[in-house]
Amino acid sequence: MPAPFQTPPSKPANASTGLLGEGYNTDAQMAQTTPGGPPQEYIPPEQRDDPRLPRSVQAIYLKPLKRRAQYGVPTCDLQLRSYNVRNVEFFADFALRAAYYLHLPAAGPIPLPRITERWTVPRSNFIFKKSQENFERITLRRLIQIQDGHSETVEIWLAFLRKHAYYGVGMKANVWQHEKLGRCCALSPMVPMLKSILGVGKTMDVSLENLKQAMEPKWAHFGRRKTLETSERAFEMMKSEAFQRTGIPLPSSA
Amino acid sequence: MSQFRAKKLDLSCFINVRVLRDHTKRKVFEQYETERQALRYIIRNTTLPGRARAQAQLQLSQMHCYTRSTQINNRCIEGGKSRGVFKDFRMARYPFRMNALEGNIPGVKKASW
Repeated sequence: MPAPFQTPPSKPANASTGLLGEGYNTDAQMAQTTPGGPPQEYIPPEQRDDPRLPRSVQAIYLKPLKRRAQYGVPTCDLQLRSYNVRNVEFFADFALRAAYYLHLPAAGPIPLPRITERWTVPRSNFIFKKSQENFERITLRRLIQIQDGHSETVEIWLAFLRKHAYYGVGMKANVWQHEKLGRCCALSPMVPMLKSILGVGKTMDVSLENLKQAMEPKWAHFGRRKTLETSERAFEMMKSEAFQRTGIPLPSSA
Repeated sequence: MSQFRAKKLDLSCFINVRVLRDHTKRKVFEQYETERQALRYIIRNTTLPGRARAQAQLQLSQMHCYTRSTQINNRCIEGGKSRGVFKDFRMARYPFRMNALEGNIPGVKKASW
């Protein structure tokens, strides 16, 4: 744990000082209650008998805590983007705290280079090119890297962040998964290796199929190349009568 | 040309004839995209007999001009202008300036450096 909490930057406005004095006594308050008077004797927070704030509440006022990665294998790169410094900083802080309480070792927030886009347009709607105006849009980016995270936990973390998405902050995550090699059989040195590779490929295929179902509604918003449909259409065309008369060989179903 | 146009208005933005025409072209291109690509594949496949490839060429050249992607031109969503339209904002330069000054476009502000 960090050093004990001493000065909360803010206190409830409606609470009276007497109540606060009974409840949460702090150094700042002691200094305030005796303005100009002789400085009171300092009592370390451990020896005070009045209740303190819960540790989790104290932690909000401090820098986000981080777990230490044992191996340092990156499993997730989360990029936060915004046009607003406050939003992106706040959300990066939130993401780090969420990662801490999920026992995920996180590195960051690493500030990535800003993306500056500029446009110059004439001030008038017609001619008069001499008088122009400049506009710009600066995208701020922060990177949070999760190391040694279990893929399920990382997914939970990402889902939590998505649930509590902050306005004006975009998120992009690159996720890496590490697959276990298949069971080895001691026939020849090559056979188990091949089997294991095949096993990994199969599980990846299954997860890809699952992903497709989840991603298809999202991808529907983008223009994509219609490679599969095109090949089917070409196959149909070549089988059609008009093309068969030109001596085109009947395509095999491949 | 008008055989492709929708019988009922299927747009809900700034509308004039040119916007409507461009919208129709987009829909037609999407509809015939695979067919064009399939024909192009047959034309370029050197393993196929020459007659078949020539046939495909003929078919491709006889397709309607609305099925070409080059017919599509981005237009301003505010006034339907075709020139000086920013791809990022789908707006012509003047509406862009007005909106940017009003603060309607996220993140865009007056630059000074």
